[in-house]
Amino acid sequence: MVTPVVELRNVSKYFAKVIANKNVSFSVGEGEVVALLGENGAGKSTIMKILYGLYGADEGQILIRGEEKTIKSPKDAMTMGIAMIQQHFSLVPTHTVTENIILGNVHGKIALKKYDEKIKGLAEAYDFDIPVESKVGALAVGVQQKVEILKALYLETKILIMDEPTAVLTPQESEHLMGFIKDFAAKGNSVIFITHKLKEVMEVADRIVVMRDGVVAGNVLKNETNERELAKLMMGKELAPSEKIGVKDFSEAETLLELSRVSVVEKGETPLLEDVSFMLRAGEVFGIAGVSGNGQDAVCEVISGSRKLTSGDVLCCGQSINSYTIRERIDAGIGYVPVDRYRDGLVMDMTLAENMMLKSSFSKRWTKHGLLSRKVLNKYTSDIIRDHKVKAVGPEETAKSLSGGNQQKMVLAREIDVGQKVIIFNQPTRGLDMGAVDRIHRSIIGEKEKGKGILLISTELSEIFEMSDHIAVMYKGKIMGIFENGQLSTERIGLLMAGYTGETEASGNEK
Amino acid sequence: MLNILSRAVMMCTPLMLGAMAEVYAERTGMMITSIEGIFLMGAFGGFVGTYFTGSIVLGMLIAILCGLVTAALYGGITVYMRQQQIVTGTAINILAAGFCAFFYRVLFGIPTTPLKIATLPKIEIPLLSKIPVIGEVLFDQNILTYFVYLIIPVSYFVLFRTSLGLTLRSTGENPEAVDVAGLNVNRIRFLTVLVAGAFGGLAGSFYTLGYLGMFTSGIIGGRGWIAFAICFLGNWNPKGVVIGTLVFGLADAVSIYIQAVSGGTIFPNELIIALPYILTIILTISRRSFNVPAKLGVPYFKED
Repeated sequence: MVTPVVELRNVSKYFAKVIANKNVSFSVGEGEVVALLGENGAGKSTIMKILYGLYGADEGQILIRGEEKTIKSPKDAMTMGIAMIQQHFSLVPTHTVTENIILGNVHGKIALKKYDEKIKGLAEAYDFDIPVESKVGALAVGVQQKVEILKALYLETKILIMDEPTAVLTPQESEHLMGFIKDFAAKGNSVIFITHKLKEVMEVADRIVVMRDGVVAGNVLKNETNERELAKLMMGKELAPSEKIGVKDFSEAETLLELSRVSVVEKGETPLLEDVSFMLRAGEVFGIAGVSGNGQDAVCEVISGSRKLTSGDVLCCGQSINSYTIRERIDAGIGYVPVDRYRDGLVMDMTLAENMMLKSSFSKRWTKHGLLSRKVLNKYTSDIIRDHKVKAVGPEETAKSLSGGNQQKMVLAREIDVGQKVIIFNQPTRGLDMGAVDRIHRSIIGEKEKGKGILLISTELSEIFEMSDHIAVMYKGKIMGIFENGQLSTERIGLLMAGYTGETEASGNEK
Repeated sequence: MLNILSRAVMMCTPLMLGAMAEVYAERTGMMITSIEGIFLMGAFGGFVGTYFTGSIVLGMLIAILCGLVTAALYGGITVYMRQQQIVTGTAINILAAGFCAFFYRVLFGIPTTPLKIATLPKIEIPLLSKIPVIGEVLFDQNILTYFVYLIIPVSYFVLFRTSLGLTLRSTGENPEAVDVAGLNVNRIRFLTVLVAGAFGGLAGSFYTLGYLGMFTSGIIGGRGWIAFAICFLGNWNPKGVVIGTLVFGLADAVSIYIQAVSGGTIFPNELIIALPYILTIILTISRRSFNVPAKLGVPYFKED
């Protein structure tokens, strides 16, 4: 048998008393693409961070080309030809592409011109279009990822680990990446590809290692498996498919929220939003697709009131709410589930009960004789914990002690209560496992059926397609078109997400 | 007039050194909030060292050592124990003030007249000092000032043209990137703080060794903080530091000059002494865009 390039033998890792990885064993051969598949928190990233020297393993061995090695730091890993591209890029935004790539790998005086040329050559060899003299912060996320890849190539990496690389890419960019991975592996290199997307796995991997709860749940060749089996391995059970919703006729429905030619321009900068117009009607899920950072957050903030618009109008039930304060908007029945629940959704050091009254602390419902009634608040919170099946001890528990999915359920419950008319969901399922995603999708559909207007912003196309009645695509602060669900192919939406309007614009049937 | 300019250049010396020390450290994400204390320790160490050994060179070395030790204390607490930089720095500043006042008393008792030492001699650079105006202003200074002439262009080159500079700048912008590149973030930060401490100690010794020839507990009088502010105003760039320092050096020299000639009759003395500080506030407010290192003041946590 051929010696594998990387072999993990019974590697275990514990954080405090939590088991992150237990007896993980698998190997990667030369020229092989291995997908590490699993839900969030399954331990995929942890095991790869061990291989890359960011964490130390508590038990087990790592063999590189048959020899046992201790990898104490990324530097060690690099000398063995291992590179890892993290989910959050490790780039210095204020420095140029070249400076980022040579960081830590040059000595003494830097002849920048020479390195610029060298890296340009390397980029061309792999068919990457990268302006090496630009500041990284000015580049699109997809291009930044290529810079990360180039960094690895520059170090003559033989074993490339990529953590959820397609999460930030448009479908076309993903395809380009898949092409690169195949090329790179064909040259005799090995790739380990961390993902939770079954489709990618089937497209690019030679072999699939499925992880669940920190252990290897399956190790199968692609040719001998299918998506259904993989999903089962991943979840440990089968998911009931959610029924597909037919597109309703909304011409009679009341318009709950309307944005009319909304622009947001900070002085001297490119507009955050430009002429954004759309309508959201009762009982409708209006989906906004797009690569993150294309103005979606600004749309939410303009509606919720945390950002001032430069021109245009936001109307709620036909009335302009431009001059409304945030609190007045809350009173008007606009709920908002922000994208970053750590930063904007919850106060992590406060109890669940306190978090539940964050947005309605002024409300009389919590008080008795002008004083806050813990009893009322705790009762309310306990009900929510029960109704939404939140895994929490009780209302007095701090928010930070909950898992991400359970935290999100709490935010969701609060905003559903606040949003009696309109609820904005900004990437509500980001970073959650499939079980939690399923619950949240069901909650959204429940609210829609009550006749609320739902604004759903997501970078996951599958989520947009599954949930929305109408779909808008955003690119650089502009709406590229509004479509009925079913009118758009994945390919077309991908082009729109990348800013190409294309020749079929006329058939787009804009509202 | 020439006298004022020459004096301005002289008064620039410690500010420029201190501000350069800040630039290095802050580029790695470390605010040296203990700079006032480091200046004071340097001034004290320089005075005591020179007084007892009789050698200004040894005095300067002791000043550098004092700055180094103070910085090591600050760096140990903020880098390795990850404590809040502003609080730690403030505490060390208070500690330094107490330390110097106490040990001055222990070593010298309460002298009726302040103890004096000889100050650094001015060195005329042959030929250069004969250039009209410029020669007198720039090339009739003490050795520390010449050292500063050297350190500014060298610093610029190091920061922007060498791999060391790239590493330092990256550490303040995105320490993860530095870590992933296989470099030790905390060691980089700690060593930079030490270098800054050495510079700061030397800068502080200027006030005793290069200027007054004696030590008082109020000798620094907030000039460490001014160096701190110059680093901000100079946009974390040696070029900006030069401009910023010249403005303050001039203000300092003018205020000393006016005090000397007017004896407090034209302007109230207090207002003149306050001039550099008022200027700090005005310039800080009026500075438009800042290029702050993204992770300034943020300790680096490596998981695990």
